[in-house]
Amino acid sequence: MVGQAAQSQTILVVGGGIAGITAAVEAAETGYEVVLVEQGPSLGGRVAQLNRYFPKLCHPTCGLEIHYQRLRGHPKIKVFTLATVAAVAGARGRYRVTVATSPRYVNARCTACGDCARASTTRVPNAFNYGLDTVPAAYLPHPMAYPMRYVLAPEVIGTPEAEAIRAACKYGAIDLDEEPATFEIVVGAIIWATGWKPYAGEKLESYGYGRIANVITNVEMERLAAPGGPTQGRILRPSDGKEAKRVAFLQCAGSRDYNHLPYCSRICCLASLKHAAYLREQYADAWIDIYYIDIRAHDKLESFYRRIKADPQVRFVKSKPASITAGDRGDPVVHGEDTLTRELYDCAYDLVVLATGMEPSAALAPAELTVDEYGFIVADLHDSGGMFAAGVAAGPLDVSMSVQSATAAVLKAIQAVSAGEADAGQA
Amino acid sequence: MQAKKAGVYLCGGCGIAEAVSLDALEAVAVKEFKVAHCRRHEFLCGEDGVRAIRGDVAAGTVNQVVVAACSPRVNADRFQAEGAQVFRANLREQVAWTQPPGAENTAILAADYLRIAIAEAQKSSPPTAHHEGPHSARILVVGAGISGLTAARAAARAGYHVLLVEQSGEIGGHARRWSKRMPQKPPYQAPQDNDIDRLIAMVEADPRIEVRRNCRVVKTAGGPGQFTVTLRQDADEPECLIGAIVLATGWRPYDPEKLGHLGYGASPDVVTSLALEDMLAARSLKRKSDGRPARTIAFVQCAGSRDPNHLPYCSSVCCGVSIKQALQIREADPDSSVYVIYEELRTPGVAEEFYRAAQRAGVIFIKGGVKRVGADLTVTMDDALLGEEIALAGLDLIVLATGMVPNAAGIAGAGEEPSPLPEADIDPLAPIAVAGCTGAVPAPRPPATQIIVAGTPLLNLQYRQGPHLPILADGFADSHFICFPYETRRSGIYTCGPLRRPMDMAEAAEDATGAALKAIQAIRNAAEGRGLHPRAGDLSYPKIGLNTCTKCRRCTVECPFGAIDETPDGFPIVNPTRCRRCGTCMGACPVRTISFDNYSVEMLTAMIKAVEIPEEDDKPRVLVLACQSDAYPAFDMAGIARSPMNAFVRTIAVRCLGSVNLLCISEALSCGYDGILLMGCKSGDDYQCHFVKGSAIAQERLSKVGETLKSMALESERVQSVEVSIADGGRLPKILDDYLAVIERIGPSPLKGFG
Amino acid sequence: MSAAIAPAGGSKYDLSFARWVYQNIDGGDRISLCMQCGMCSGSCPIGTAMDHGPRKLFMLIRAGMKEAVLTSDTIWNCTQCYNCVVRCPRQIPVTNILQGLATVAVREGYAPQQPTAKFSKAFWLSVKRFGRTDERLVTALYYFSYGLKEGVRRGLDNLPIAWRMVKAKRMHLGLPHRAKGAADLRAIIAKAEEIEARERAEG
Repeated sequence: MVGQAAQSQTILVVGGGIAGITAAVEAAETGYEVVLVEQGPSLGGRVAQLNRYFPKLCHPTCGLEIHYQRLRGHPKIKVFTLATVAAVAGARGRYRVTVATSPRYVNARCTACGDCARASTTRVPNAFNYGLDTVPAAYLPHPMAYPMRYVLAPEVIGTPEAEAIRAACKYGAIDLDEEPATFEIVVGAIIWATGWKPYAGEKLESYGYGRIANVITNVEMERLAAPGGPTQGRILRPSDGKEAKRVAFLQCAGSRDYNHLPYCSRICCLASLKHAAYLREQYADAWIDIYYIDIRAHDKLESFYRRIKADPQVRFVKSKPASITAGDRGDPVVHGEDTLTRELYDCAYDLVVLATGMEPSAALAPAELTVDEYGFIVADLHDSGGMFAAGVAAGPLDVSMSVQSATAAVLKAIQAVSAGEADAGQA
Repeated sequence: MQAKKAGVYLCGGCGIAEAVSLDALEAVAVKEFKVAHCRRHEFLCGEDGVRAIRGDVAAGTVNQVVVAACSPRVNADRFQAEGAQVFRANLREQVAWTQPPGAENTAILAADYLRIAIAEAQKSSPPTAHHEGPHSARILVVGAGISGLTAARAAARAGYHVLLVEQSGEIGGHARRWSKRMPQKPPYQAPQDNDIDRLIAMVEADPRIEVRRNCRVVKTAGGPGQFTVTLRQDADEPECLIGAIVLATGWRPYDPEKLGHLGYGASPDVVTSLALEDMLAARSLKRKSDGRPARTIAFVQCAGSRDPNHLPYCSSVCCGVSIKQALQIREADPDSSVYVIYEELRTPGVAEEFYRAAQRAGVIFIKGGVKRVGADLTVTMDDALLGEEIALAGLDLIVLATGMVPNAAGIAGAGEEPSPLPEADIDPLAPIAVAGCTGAVPAPRPPATQIIVAGTPLLNLQYRQGPHLPILADGFADSHFICFPYETRRSGIYTCGPLRRPMDMAEAAEDATGAALKAIQAIRNAAEGRGLHPRAGDLSYPKIGLNTCTKCRRCTVECPFGAIDETPDGFPIVNPTRCRRCGTCMGACPVRTISFDNYSVEMLTAMIKAVEIPEEDDKPRVLVLACQSDAYPAFDMAGIARSPMNAFVRTIAVRCLGSVNLLCISEALSCGYDGILLMGCKSGDDYQCHFVKGSAIAQERLSKVGETLKSMALESERVQSVEVSIADGGRLPKILDDYLAVIERIGPSPLKGFG
Repeated sequence: MSAAIAPAGGSKYDLSFARWVYQNIDGGDRISLCMQCGMCSGSCPIGTAMDHGPRKLFMLIRAGMKEAVLTSDTIWNCTQCYNCVVRCPRQIPVTNILQGLATVAVREGYAPQQPTAKFSKAFWLSVKRFGRTDERLVTALYYFSYGLKEGVRRGLDNLPIAWRMVKAKRMHLGLPHRAKGAADLRAIIAKAEEIEARERAEG
């Protein structure tokens, strides 16, 4: 092998969700240089969009804050947002990675003062709240954004509004001429922490998501319950803002289903149990039905299940509902068969929540990686390469397991950069 | 020590200059505090501003940079300057963004925040790292099952030397008994060969790994980078210097003798999963009773698990294990009939494929609760889906899918007294309880004492706080189990595998790899005197002035991490590498003789006193001591949301509420504050404190404040604690206004003007 | 379809019937994948008119309850709308299986004396003879399967409907149309019946 000059001990982490942040911080605190690449405008990923974690019902932002404290100004970590990996060449110890960035139109001079937002007149869907509300075209991705820097929606670029926004910034932070760009870095190992996206509710045709008012998904429920969400944390149904007190949860909405996601997404049972807890905390007279096939409260989470199950206002119905139709007064009606009683039911609710599953994010998969038919990265059991999956990129995992997986991936990456040196030495 | 040269940098950007007069602030710095160097900038975090700061530091003009600008939570990297300490006065989020511009109270608030920051600088010195004693980079792995072997191998592959000790005579643990294992590779449908022998061979061949069989840890002292571990192997008691420890003591099956209600003991043909595994490994599925081949077999799931009378948790692996065994049986004997009786079938993730593979292979899954198992091997159950009680008869073999019990204590050797885990070491936290969503329903308490057998402490820690590693009420090793699952309350000691939670072999291997990383990380940081999570990299550590120490032992008792031991004559000794820098010891000390270079009771008192307390009745002052990691960010969130905040509140961030000494409270009261709020994270069963007990300890201390208040003739309302989470930014303005209303009701502090 | 008589199990969860169904009914092997979620029964537009519904029927097969399965009205009341098939998360061909069970029920004399079974026979006769359904023939055969008097009564009852259908050109009054290639179809059916009979004889 020639060209050994390119040997690198740097670890590239792709994805800035909880797995990616964990991997970056753990690697840096072990003494390694880290490049963290996130495709969105802020770190935090899906966990930043959660209101609370099960089973402690604590806020994900609490852990994120600690992560940010460790990340802020850490000399060994370089963070690139709005950046993706466009190409990877080379082998472990000397991957040449092409990183593609999309324009933020806001440069590092941004102080997050918000004058740009006040100058913008167009409103765009708020991706952080899954489009349940809107934000100005110049916006902070969310209050716990990292970096704490605004973004300009591409929709306004080239309009007089963009010029007005630029003029409003006292610090010269608006850069309307920013273009997509690419740059190349050399790294020794790569951790893919590309995470997941919620399974599209629209694909569950008979559940009417997108057609029937007040049928929402579990990720939207998180935002409805979050203090920073579109309803400031009050769980109100979208059509008329009525308090959602009679609520149904439909488990396995897409998961465990050959027509959709053949695997079990692991977290949806616990997420719905948690949502039941939100509702019971908010409304003393909330009545909740959870439609399920099996409640998968693995290991210690069983206690959480037992606790919710003991609540007389939470009913568990062993049934995969067949369909949802629009009922009177905006109440969706859930139809199906209760498999324990063989009764056919038609139940109307204020709100129906589809417990949709996790789909691995589509990401570049270099040939070195084995990906299963669902898109999850298969572990390299012989550790011969220099690429590793962390978190949900490796399979449907909960937060704690994603963190474990990310921590393990760091050691594998460290082994790889050491082995990469040995590879080069032998050549 | 270098003389302190403070420089104050006032930023006028982001609305600060519009809200307050920078002239007035400059006057505070220059006239009140005689700061020689004060600069202003309209955009301090921009290139020019940063260059100015770094230039002053490089020129030696300044070695303490007081940045009066935005929150310390932002731009930390910009304001870093090599060779200087940085202090922040939050004039943006907590003044300009939350107060009416130009108002008198706004100006006073900003001035007070600047005073607080300068006072902090005056009492702070750059921390010097602890570099004393021996240092080892060797990792001790206790337990040589799949977790321990994987951890050892993973650490060795990263270049570290490993000492792997195994209590029994053989390495491989339970993993050696599995004839096959659950699939890890697509299409995830068939039992997979058990490759434990390959792993064993690799460990044995690795020159960096020393394996000791029939060997136990009898004593552990010291801390990360410098543990002294005494082993016992035969008659030998070698002592080793160890850098970090990975505990991988694994699990044992739940005692089937306790499962009489499921027929165990009634017939030799009622067996456990492990016993079946032995038969499968021997390729001989014969009944113990009469030697006839077993062809009709029922698995009873959750044998002990998910049962409040036995194991309160789900053992996670049993569904997969039974599926694997059922598939093996069906493959070996196509005429066999195999039933799996379950209540909830749990095959998360891609394991759903494994479940379907078993269904496809003709394994019959019956949902229902087993009522009894007769000696004639008839299973009587409520068949949930047929909706009737049925008797499953004609079975040749019944397999109880017994759960996993963590080996949180060792088995006492000959002549040794088993020592039960002290109650104090069993953390009440437990994931058992959840927040008050279902208030009417009490959280079930697991019968911890039944799960945790009395045994020898795994490491026999020679720590003031006892020999055991803290465990949770369900018997598993304590960890911050959502965000930071590896963090235990004993620094440099990481648990992995089924000792932490029930998990299968693949998960255990993954978990062990992560634990090995944490061990390496602990070693590297200890070598440089740097703190571990959550204040990773912090060089400061508590120093105790022994000349004033009264040997009250509060610091040694309250340290959440057991970092402080006692000398035989009762003086505290800090183990800096164990310390997590929360300051709980400093908060505990009644004679304020524990301080960090850059954090002390003296400093907090100075910051508290730096605030000017007006004598007018219409200008009350409330001091908020806020947890840096949760409550303080909540204030920032309110600022980002531009929520108007009460102008009479002065907020000081503390490392942890546990670091708040009652002397700070009494000083604040005597200098005339009308009220004090302690804001920390949630305590109790579902605590959210990153230092485990900080807010709980603060509340306990506060319960004793009543006496002090009484002696000062003050109302009890003057000092209160509030649980504030990071997401409570929206609630904060009201919390503060409500408290100010209380203060208004009880009137101004009678001590005003005496400070 | 191989055609030994389906074995009846001795006790609950005797698997001989289930295994016979898995092996001998078209698509039956996929019944083993059923996870009893209830999607099929809940999706069935005439679920209320079924004693068990497909989900429970599969449970009964699994439990070895041959008689309960083959006497069930579920297999006769299915309208083949395929709602269950497109929604089944385990992609079980529910309708094919129900048809297969109907055939077995007829063959083994379990077919209930109920309208759908009679109707199916009338339908089949028409298709076999003309290669298509003739409304008048099918209804006549069906009505008169209840006896002469009942047949006449039903026919008269439905006369207004018939008249409206004629006016709407949904029914014609001439001789029954014969489908193109009806003779070929008859030959195909005859061959299939011959093969089936042979397989049944061979067991």
